[in-house]
Amino acid sequence: MRFLRPLIIIAGLVLIWQIIIWLSNVPHFILPAPARVAEAWWVHHATILGHASVTLLEIALGLMFGALLGALSALALAYFRPARRWLLPVLVASQAIPVFALAPILVLWLGYGIASKVAMATLIIYFPVATSFYDGLRRTEPGWTDLARTMGASRWVLLTRIRVPAALPALASGLRVATAVAPIGAVVGEWVGASAGLGYLMLHANGRVQIDLMFAALLTLAFFAVIIYFIVDTSLRRALPWQPDKLPTEQEE
Amino acid sequence: MLFTYIRRVLFPALLIFLLGGQAAQANDKLTLLLDWFINPDHAPLFVAQEQGYFAAHGLEVEMIAPADPNDPPKLVAAGKADIALSYQPQLHVQVAAGLPLTRFGTLIATPLNTLLVLEDGPVKSIADLKGRKVGYSIGGFEDALLRAMLARHGLTLDDITLVNVNFSLSPALLAGQVDAVIGAYRNFELNQLAIEGYKGRAFYVEEEGVPSYDELILVANPDHMDRAVLRRFLDALEDGVRYLVNHPDESWELFIRGRAELDDELNRLAWRDTLTRFALRPAALDRARYARFAQFMQDQGLIEKALTVKDYATVLE
Amino acid sequence: MTNNHNQPSDNPASKNSRADKNSCAGISLTAVSLRYEGKYLFKELQLDLPQGQCSALLGPSGVGKSSLLRLIAGLQPFEPSGRVIIGKNQAQLPGHLSTEIAYMAQQDLLLPWLNALDNVTLGARLRRQRPDHARARDLLRRVGLADYERALPATLSGGMRQRVALARTLMEDRPIILMDEPFSALDAITRLRLQELAAKLLRGRTILLVTHDPLEALRISQRIFIMSGRPARLSEARLPEGKTPRDPADTALLADHAELLHRLRAADGDSAPGVEP
Repeated sequence: MRFLRPLIIIAGLVLIWQIIIWLSNVPHFILPAPARVAEAWWVHHATILGHASVTLLEIALGLMFGALLGALSALALAYFRPARRWLLPVLVASQAIPVFALAPILVLWLGYGIASKVAMATLIIYFPVATSFYDGLRRTEPGWTDLARTMGASRWVLLTRIRVPAALPALASGLRVATAVAPIGAVVGEWVGASAGLGYLMLHANGRVQIDLMFAALLTLAFFAVIIYFIVDTSLRRALPWQPDKLPTEQEE
Repeated sequence: MLFTYIRRVLFPALLIFLLGGQAAQANDKLTLLLDWFINPDHAPLFVAQEQGYFAAHGLEVEMIAPADPNDPPKLVAAGKADIALSYQPQLHVQVAAGLPLTRFGTLIATPLNTLLVLEDGPVKSIADLKGRKVGYSIGGFEDALLRAMLARHGLTLDDITLVNVNFSLSPALLAGQVDAVIGAYRNFELNQLAIEGYKGRAFYVEEEGVPSYDELILVANPDHMDRAVLRRFLDALEDGVRYLVNHPDESWELFIRGRAELDDELNRLAWRDTLTRFALRPAALDRARYARFAQFMQDQGLIEKALTVKDYATVLE
Repeated sequence: MTNNHNQPSDNPASKNSRADKNSCAGISLTAVSLRYEGKYLFKELQLDLPQGQCSALLGPSGVGKSSLLRLIAGLQPFEPSGRVIIGKNQAQLPGHLSTEIAYMAQQDLLLPWLNALDNVTLGARLRRQRPDHARARDLLRRVGLADYERALPATLSGGMRQRVALARTLMEDRPIILMDEPFSALDAITRLRLQELAAKLLRGRTILLVTHDPLEALRISQRIFIMSGRPARLSEARLPEGKTPRDPADTALLADHAELLHRLRAADGDSAPGVEP
């Protein structure tokens, strides 16, 4: 039943897609029918998967660096009071910069290889992780900090032993959001100058009016995005066993 | 007192003005999707607009600039707009992919594409590209063009490294990240380099083994097009080209009228270099030329089979 | 059983205070003032708690009971004109945390990512010392949770969690224990059980227990203070003699309970300082 459910969902979505095509008469060069896309996938699957591996690598590295940088920034903001005044506005501003302004600069410094794409993805992933973790660190249950202080905990111990573990669920939320936006980050990076990857493939197919191939690449990206999210979500739930999904049942004394 | 005045005098006058104006005109409306943001390649269109040539032929043309050059032909094929500015090489591929499109006019009758290098750079001839990096932006035909240009010198695409620099062609060349760029327009990127103080050297694709083609054409959907209206459009356009050729400086003023953001040095230099490339007879069609290019596309593997020209290009009588 | 009532002292600055100043682990407040949003919560408050006894602090909500407790714990700074002396004649500075104090709050404050045993040994870990697991296990056994040392707090009931908190408080082994309504979130029967457990295990330590339950105060404390008014003033109430935990059905206790309720109700509507019993 667990594996049947996603299959049913996929089948349902494909059906809706086909119905939209039948009803709305949209031309095939704007929205191709599922059958055409499936055929394109079958014919080009080697190419698609090859490009997919590049994008997956960008996503993985982007998640790693973005999460690391985000967590460190949150810690700095929580622990150093001056950091809050100086770093927080920069953090927020970083999200407002449109990619086409930033990408050429990144490409200039990091070249046209994978580094600039990973940098782009990192930038997009960094923010949700940093803000969620920082929020979690700020909102530590005040009772715990009181208790810890009466027990003689130093500021550092308070941070590492109480605030950080208490904020891990918030960090997990940020990581979930980051995982959901990571594919966008990688693809956006590819659009501004790449020779490989699903984003590049989609642009290329679009330019050659191979719309079926473009959608096949797009669906492949969506598929991998869901898989990655599922993996990250499960890992996070395993890593934080004290945060049960269901409400705990009260045991009788 | 003022309120009474507005009610009794101004408001009715306004109403008469608006409605009366409507009744008097009954122009045919056309939506035209440009290929890119407004630039000197579109000069005749704006001259025709500003000089009132469209209105004189009973037309009201709304010109829209897209952000993605791939969209306009698709939208015209889907019946959402009347006219699109597109590229001849693209047309061959689009029609082969089944899009209902037909070329009915030409705006720019020569290629604008070049292989661009720095004058002081290591590449003095195309043969020097061996083992070097060539930058391109994704449009779909760069490798075909390069293959043809390299073949003349006994080279293949394996002898060079293609780097996707997207639209930053000049910066990539100036920064030395690539040794040459393809897809640089002779009226734009060449001038961009000059403004930065660098001398560029262009290899014109039609001189290096690629058959000549029209860089900018006007396409419509053959199932929806009103041939009489579009003929009037071409007449107005021809008036625009004529005025442009005879009065280039006044035309520039018309181009930037109400569009002050277009008045910069790059556009002024590009304007000067584009003047000789506009189709003097927008409606005219050279079938053999189109067939020759279609054959080239087939030989390069970009399309499976070259179609007959009348299936995708037409002459409006 | 004959019941001797403790006569309440008329003056909270009792004549015992001078003797108590020499005690090892008493609490003494002199001229302590605290302001909240501009108004005085306490003004020049005087309080002496003798060593080894459990003193209860009752009063209406918002009068400042918890603030007083936090003030003594060192979590709440107060105006420099006041002095708090805890234990061995140390004058405590406002906001300075004493090492003689253990703190138990209304919420169990168990860290959800640690199991019961690790929660009990929390103090040692926070001070970067080696935890004494054997002693922790023994304490868990004494509060009746011997089989639960690996359990996560989410799997324990409210009463069980508060018992772990009690074990944690005992683990700290401090002479002075401050408790802020520790059992108020539990159901009546669990509360009775935990009161008895606490009375037994915490015997001999100096305890200041803030509670809103007069029955609880009568059951387990040796002195009862009522806090009322703004700025707050303290007055004592009488309670029965006898070893704690006292029988809730005892008639003398019930009589004192009725009187206490009457006084608390008066205190609730009171805005003038110093209500006389």
